[in-house]
Amino acid sequence: MNNDAVVEITDLRKEYSDSIALNGVSLTVRAGEAVAVMGPSGSGKSTLLNMIAGLDRPTSGSVVVHGTDLGALDETGLALFRRRGIGMIFQFFNLLDDLSALDNVALAAQLTGTPAGQARKRALELFGELGIENRKNIYPARLSGGERQRVAVARALMNRPALLLADEPTGALDSRSGEQVMDLLLDLNQIGQTLLLVTHDERLATRCASRVIEVVDGRIAREQSVERVS
Amino acid sequence: MSAVWTAAWAAVRRRVLQTIVIGIVVLASTATIVMALGLLESAAAPFDRAFATQQGAHLSAAFDPTKTSADQLKQAAGQTVSAGPFPQATVDTSASQVFLGTLTVAGRADPGGPVDRLTIWRGRWATAPGEIVLNRTPGGEGGNNLGFEISIPGRPKLTVVGFAHSVTGSADAWVTPDQVNALQPTALQMLYRFPDAGTAAKVAEGQKSVTTGIPEGALLGTLSHLTVKDKATSELGVFIPFLMIFGILGLVVAVLIVANVVSGAVVAGFRHIGMLKALGFTPGQVMAVYLVMISIPAVLGCVLGTVAGNFFAKPIVQDAVEGFGVTELSFAPWVNAVALLGMPALVVSAALVPALRARGLPAAQAISAGTTTHTGRALRIQRWLTTTPLPRSVSLGLGVPFARAGRSALTLASVVLGVMTVTLAAGLTMSVTAYDSAVRPSYDDRVEVLAGRPPGLPVMRTPEMGEPPNATLSDADDEKMLRSLPGTDAVLAVSQLETEVAGGTQNATIFFYRGDTGKLGPRVLTGHWPDGPGQVVAPSRFLNQRGLQVGDTITVQANENRTELKIVGVVLTNNEDEIFADWSALNVLAPGTRAHSYQVRFTSGTVRETFTAAIAKGDPGLRVMPPRDGSSSTGVIIVSASVTLTLVLGLVAALGVFNTVVLNARERRRDLGMLKSIGMTPRQVTVMLVTSMGVLGVLGGLAGVPLGVAAHQLVVPAMAHAAQSDAVDVLMQVYHAPALALLALAGVVIAVLGALVPARGAARLSIATVLHNE
Ligand SMILES: Nc1ncnc2c1ncn2[C@@H]1O[C@H](COP(=O)(O)OP(=O)(O)O)[C@@H](O)[C@H]1O
Ligand SMILES: [Mg+2]
Repeated sequence: MNNDAVVEITDLRKEYSDSIALNGVSLTVRAGEAVAVMGPSGSGKSTLLNMIAGLDRPTSGSVVVHGTDLGALDETGLALFRRRGIGMIFQFFNLLDDLSALDNVALAAQLTGTPAGQARKRALELFGELGIENRKNIYPARLSGGERQRVAVARALMNRPALLLADEPTGALDSRSGEQVMDLLLDLNQIGQTLLLVTHDERLATRCASRVIEVVDGRIAREQSVERVS
Repeated sequence: MSAVWTAAWAAVRRRVLQTIVIGIVVLASTATIVMALGLLESAAAPFDRAFATQQGAHLSAAFDPTKTSADQLKQAAGQTVSAGPFPQATVDTSASQVFLGTLTVAGRADPGGPVDRLTIWRGRWATAPGEIVLNRTPGGEGGNNLGFEISIPGRPKLTVVGFAHSVTGSADAWVTPDQVNALQPTALQMLYRFPDAGTAAKVAEGQKSVTTGIPEGALLGTLSHLTVKDKATSELGVFIPFLMIFGILGLVVAVLIVANVVSGAVVAGFRHIGMLKALGFTPGQVMAVYLVMISIPAVLGCVLGTVAGNFFAKPIVQDAVEGFGVTELSFAPWVNAVALLGMPALVVSAALVPALRARGLPAAQAISAGTTTHTGRALRIQRWLTTTPLPRSVSLGLGVPFARAGRSALTLASVVLGVMTVTLAAGLTMSVTAYDSAVRPSYDDRVEVLAGRPPGLPVMRTPEMGEPPNATLSDADDEKMLRSLPGTDAVLAVSQLETEVAGGTQNATIFFYRGDTGKLGPRVLTGHWPDGPGQVVAPSRFLNQRGLQVGDTITVQANENRTELKIVGVVLTNNEDEIFADWSALNVLAPGTRAHSYQVRFTSGTVRETFTAAIAKGDPGLRVMPPRDGSSSTGVIIVSASVTLTLVLGLVAALGVFNTVVLNARERRRDLGMLKSIGMTPRQVTVMLVTSMGVLGVLGGLAGVPLGVAAHQLVVPAMAHAAQSDAVDVLMQVYHAPALALLALAGVVIAVLGALVPARGAARLSIATVLHNE
């Protein structure tokens, strides 16, 4: 039944020295789904995403992404897994300040061994699709928030990842830029991109997700399917 | 271009200044190390090569022909590889048109043979009576023309037919065995090679075996190849400890700066590292980014430093090895290989610790890390500082170093090293100056008066000098006249004699002193001033170069007169060929000689011009010499190199501070923006950041000075030893309280210089920019 599952999480726990961030979470995300994760600040949403990306290791429980049990991978294995399998978007963009917008995006492809020229070409295509072609030689510090996030989206898409993870991608943006980024993610999902999205904004969540999960105190408190409007 | 390279190159471009700093530091320290190693290598190599080619003598010995015979010497040598005996004569050329000093001439039929195979580099060997071959080092053009004549009254006239070179200097000149008999030989020369002569003990052992059975007193003197080698290498040798210590200081500073830059980059790059990892950089690749970032300037600096080191060392080495006939000159490949491979390896290993930290940093934590981390201790110190009555910008500044203890420690260390270098260099300069003025004094309360030509020396005359001095009064009357002048405090009468010291071609000038030797003679370091005819005192270089010590006896010869002199003390003078005896000894070697010069000290209040005029009136034949200039070329090189290296390392230490302030300001830009938004003026921000480094400057000054003094106490004896001198007190005791206090201030200067520019930069940063970038 779960043959098309992209993410399978079973009884995931994560404890820090002074807190429990995740306290028994199980979750399945199927290919093509758009799942929104909501919940109060400090409830464990980012921790959940980090576990799926293999950026951190669980205290117990398992995370299987695309049939790969992340627990079985070492640090290098996890890095190789992230390169091809995961695209990540953060609230504060996390672009490399010392590379131009285009080079930031091209870098992701270079990691998989794509020659620099070819990587730039593909990055340029993405810039075109995202409407930021004219910003390609600008350094992140000089871009607006919305532009930075679109560059971050381009970078996340560079290696055509099976799973796109977005942690409050609109949290640092004004509402107009936030909506534009959300539209972008929605479009991506509609052409088949699997998406796991953390957001505070219920309106945006219901607009672009097919399923909404609410996390409270490290547990899934509520789960509901959404009839999407557009 | 790989992803690692892209990310590393971007990081380099972002840190242009830090990259340049690393490049310069590595360049400077590589150049110094290359020079030190190159000199170390070159100092000995040409001698060793020439010695091997010539089958140089491990031991040269002179024997008294009246006490032993050629047969006896050959028999005693037995199976030992030896050459000789060659009859040996001493020839005084002072009366010849061409003055060559006192020549030791050996009678030798053949320049080859089992030992001391001479290189004839111009002309040919002497084969007939009236021909002579001079021992000259190959190369030098001036005056090396064949065919000139040496004429000594009462001896056959000799024509120079060739130039040869003996690396151990077995003789100054060679003639045929027949010819030497006409020159009235006074010694028999034997040259030996031993199977093992690596140490002084082995040479002494060899000497014992070849002299057993030879009558007591027949051996006049010996010269070991080790002594010759020490002398040959001492010119470069002086620089080696000096360059070594500066090279090592440079290396340590390089390591500190690199460690600081990379850990700064890792700390400031917490998010950067998280991002790289989130993108899919493996831990190894993250580490590689940080290592490549540092390797770029390290490799560049190292290559340029190696080139510069070769470039600067060449002229020094060239100058020093010319004497060995070495024309084309390149360092042994290992010197450059060590520099080119070792330096980057060292720098990269300095970067390894922080780079490993970057490698192990958990990605999730890195990505969410804040910009500043305040430890509890730092906060407590800051809270306490705010309760003090200091201005707020100063108290805030004083707290800054505690927030990043590791970085502050590295910065402090580079300030300490900077101060240490300044202290060491100042000490070396003072030592050199003190030594120069001790051995080449130019007193302003003394005059030197010439009375005539010293025996064995030609008259040196230049047009400006007018007539040569020629005293009208007798020696005793001149002394009486000088003593009776108003203002005279002390008088010393001096005569000098060129003599040959038995064993090898070792000439020595003996100065005979009469009068107030205690007041005007050189300082006696150990032993006592000669108080009898058979005694002599010598500088330590004379003793060290000949393997002698106080209590030993040397045999000296001037013309036909030979005498034994006992060394009774060591004096503080520089010239290794000048020794000092009491006037009474002169009567044995050159009876009836008068003083050729006087040193006169006048009392304070006496005008030099009036005094000089009075001397001229007392004896118009005397001439008062102009005051002497006292500085040596080695001294000048050491002082100017010290100053240069101090400036470079001081600058580098300041750049270390610069880097720290840049990092601190970058990390705290949010705090700074906040402080400014609540009304802190740019001036106050500058004061705050400069104060933060001033603390390190004060501490660095206090720690750096004693370390610099300690380094001085280590380097000076090594340099003195290389110069075959001893670490006398004028060299060692140069630091005084006011100088030390001034040197300690160097720390503050370094800190403030380094901090000022980035502090002002941070102070000018607009709040809007800061907030936009967050
Ligand atoms: N690296 C960490 N070290 C210690 N505690 C952490 C760390 N990361 C997160 N936490 C804690 O785990 C809990 C969940 O955090 P997080 O997943 O960031 O929440 P959310 O993203 O829902 O706001 C919080 O209590 C937070 O303080
Ligand atoms: Mg979060």
